[in-house]
Amino acid sequence: MPARANTSIVVRLVIVVVVLAASLFAGAPPASAQVKLTFDKHPAIDFGDVFTASVRVKSQNDWRGFPSEPESDPKNVFDPYRERIAVEGRILGRVLYHVEREFHDTSSPWKNIYLETRVLHGVHVQGGQFNMPFGLDQTTSLMNQDFNYHSLAGSFLAPGRGIGVMAFGDFFKKNLVAYEAGVFRQDGDNTRSAQLQDLRVAPTFVGRIVVKPFSKWQPLNFARSMETGFAFSDGELPAGLYSLKGQTIPGDAFVQKVYVNGRRQRLGAQLQWRPGPIGVQAEAMRVRDTRLGQGIEDQDLPNVVERAWYVSGTWLATGEHKKDTITPARPFLNGGYGAIELGARLERLSTGSGPALNPALYGPRSPGVFPTADLVWTTGVNWYVNKFFELSLNVIREDRTLLRTATLSSGPVWSRTFRVEFGL
Amino acid sequence: MRWPRIRSLVLLLAVAVCAPMLRVSAQSVGAVTSADTLLDGSALNDIWLHINARDWQDLHTNYQDGTYYPVDFEWQGVKVRNSGIRVRGNTTRNDHKPSFRIDFNRYVDGQDLFGLKALVLNNSWHDPSMLHDDLSMQTFQKMGIPAPRQAHVRLYVGAAREYAGVYVISEEISKTFLTANFREDNGYLYEFHRQDGDNYGFQEQPELGWYIPRFGPKTHETESVANLYTPVRTLVEAVNEARQDNLEDRLGDYLDVRTFITELAVQNVLAQTDGLVGGVGMNNFYLYRFAGKKLSMLIPWDQDNSFSRMDMPPSDNMGTNVLASKIWNEPKYRDAYLARLLDTADLVSSGWLEQEAAREYEQIRAAVYEDPLTPYSRDEFDQANAFVQQFARERGAVVRQYVASIAPEVLRSRRLR
Repeated sequence: MPARANTSIVVRLVIVVVVLAASLFAGAPPASAQVKLTFDKHPAIDFGDVFTASVRVKSQNDWRGFPSEPESDPKNVFDPYRERIAVEGRILGRVLYHVEREFHDTSSPWKNIYLETRVLHGVHVQGGQFNMPFGLDQTTSLMNQDFNYHSLAGSFLAPGRGIGVMAFGDFFKKNLVAYEAGVFRQDGDNTRSAQLQDLRVAPTFVGRIVVKPFSKWQPLNFARSMETGFAFSDGELPAGLYSLKGQTIPGDAFVQKVYVNGRRQRLGAQLQWRPGPIGVQAEAMRVRDTRLGQGIEDQDLPNVVERAWYVSGTWLATGEHKKDTITPARPFLNGGYGAIELGARLERLSTGSGPALNPALYGPRSPGVFPTADLVWTTGVNWYVNKFFELSLNVIREDRTLLRTATLSSGPVWSRTFRVEFGL
Repeated sequence: MRWPRIRSLVLLLAVAVCAPMLRVSAQSVGAVTSADTLLDGSALNDIWLHINARDWQDLHTNYQDGTYYPVDFEWQGVKVRNSGIRVRGNTTRNDHKPSFRIDFNRYVDGQDLFGLKALVLNNSWHDPSMLHDDLSMQTFQKMGIPAPRQAHVRLYVGAAREYAGVYVISEEISKTFLTANFREDNGYLYEFHRQDGDNYGFQEQPELGWYIPRFGPKTHETESVANLYTPVRTLVEAVNEARQDNLEDRLGDYLDVRTFITELAVQNVLAQTDGLVGGVGMNNFYLYRFAGKKLSMLIPWDQDNSFSRMDMPPSDNMGTNVLASKIWNEPKYRDAYLARLLDTADLVSSGWLEQEAAREYEQIRAAVYEDPLTPYSRDEFDQANAFVQQFARERGAVVRQYVASIAPEVLRSRRLR
């Protein structure tokens, strides 16, 4: 498999979307009378029912204060975290398309690129490159995050984005039960190493069911927004040094890399509850990699297991209702101060499995995986200035349990991040 | 009653103070003895590398990469687990019988094998006798030049303990080597990497960037380019600026001219074609600058290309190196060089080298015959060894004859002594 296989597939997807749109334009009647330009939250153009397009711009720039760790790579104070542009809309009113490009990621600049349509009542089909349906935090848009960084679970254990096809929909009214089930070329980009992208492996299957058990219960009005879900993934894992990653908040690897081979299986559970201005969210994940024939004498080794969880809470002090996208009731300089949100998150990522060994006996092909963990407290305040701008300050405390050979700081470590976010 | 109690207290205190020293002493005695056993060449040791079959395959497939793989190193029942192995070498690098470097502390901080942090397994790809490197290093050592210890080993690999042939095992030039030879390890050590197309011989290079790819730092690796390379450039400037008739005056603080002369003499007596004055410029050495000093020293490395020709004049390529050229063109230094040639020739023809060559040949012959990966036939191996022994017998006379032909007074004064 050539090294740029994934990139070329993504580029082909872009071409398909563009050609499809162009062919529709070519066949459309003179449309000057039907063309409608709008600018509500973002600029959009409608060619009647034939074609619509709206442009989204996402920009996140960070100023960071990380601890001084002389053995790790130096980090810049200013970090242009995300600069993205997306075009999305509908074709013939039935097919939804989305094309998104990141300007700060030169290795894989094309992000979500997909077509989506409803084929039956309660059955939508989506194809292209997009987030696999695993991990609530990971599948939440980066502009709708409560904190500056994804959770460790979402960043390193959830599969992330992949190329594939997915069916999704819901049963019963009020989304009582929603489902997503997809098949993807391989594991997602969160966990895929550059070498792994070159290998052709069997598909990865991913599924998630989300239930809103109280959505129809009038007596439990405060609990109607509560939803809980379960997800799994199962895919082939080629032989190699492809175990899951794990990084500290400043971005230094702290999880021991070990040889794996066989299957990678994930289980995840999620909970979200948004009573009024309060938001509560929690997830737990477990990933198991098999290690067939990976011992120093070619013997099978015990599975390597990584676990992560988080629980977070937010409160919109200015009284807006907690939603994915917060729009201040009284924007700054427009009769108010914007919306202020306070939040806290506690999370932990840990690895370590197999028999406990003398420290000198841990290695990439040893039966035991050295126990490492990062326990992280994040507290933050978000100021939604208006519907376009948001300022966020996070103070983060890590309590690291590191590899004996690690050159990073153990124990409590403090970081600070300040983000200026613009969305159109 | 008081005195016995005080005596007991003093005794206890003495034991408490001395116990750690005793422990360290025992460790170091054990370490030196064991490392010596592996590297003194008195026996043909067996090394067993426990390595995953896929990794062994990948090492060969991706032999151009510097990728490390985990390996358990076993020797005489001593197993160093979770070591790291990678393919090494430049012109000897190949996928048939690669050379290896084993780092005992690659995955486990501080792990070593009786004090050795790493070992090199050389394939002797260019040397059918398999003796050139080892015998050269022994000659350097006997002439007072610190050089890495080497020995032959039989290599076995994998769970099935398959025989992978004879290798020359060498200690690496590292902090351990520096401590053993100079009683310090905090200076600046560089490995010289000759670049394709170079024919370098101490010619001045004003740009610091020029030195970066050629002098790979092995200590103080994270220091700034200026800290690492300004002293190297200063040394080169001193070589160029030194007056030919009094090299020590300008150069003495930076390089010991007499030591350099001895190194040149050893390499030229052994007909080394890829050393300090080889056909492609300087090559195969480390540079060590002593801690807190300007003084540097060259340490020989990889002498596979010695024993090249019986009749090679020991003045070959002296003109291509700035310092060697000054030595050769100044009578007092040329005489000193010729005298060291004679010293080395005496050593070589004393019978020691021939006996050692014969002993090592007998030691490895059966193992080399069975070597499944050697690129040479048995005849080539035997003939190459016969030449090494002949070289050891006759080279001294060739060198003496050469000195007599160009400076008979040096030979005469030596005889008078």
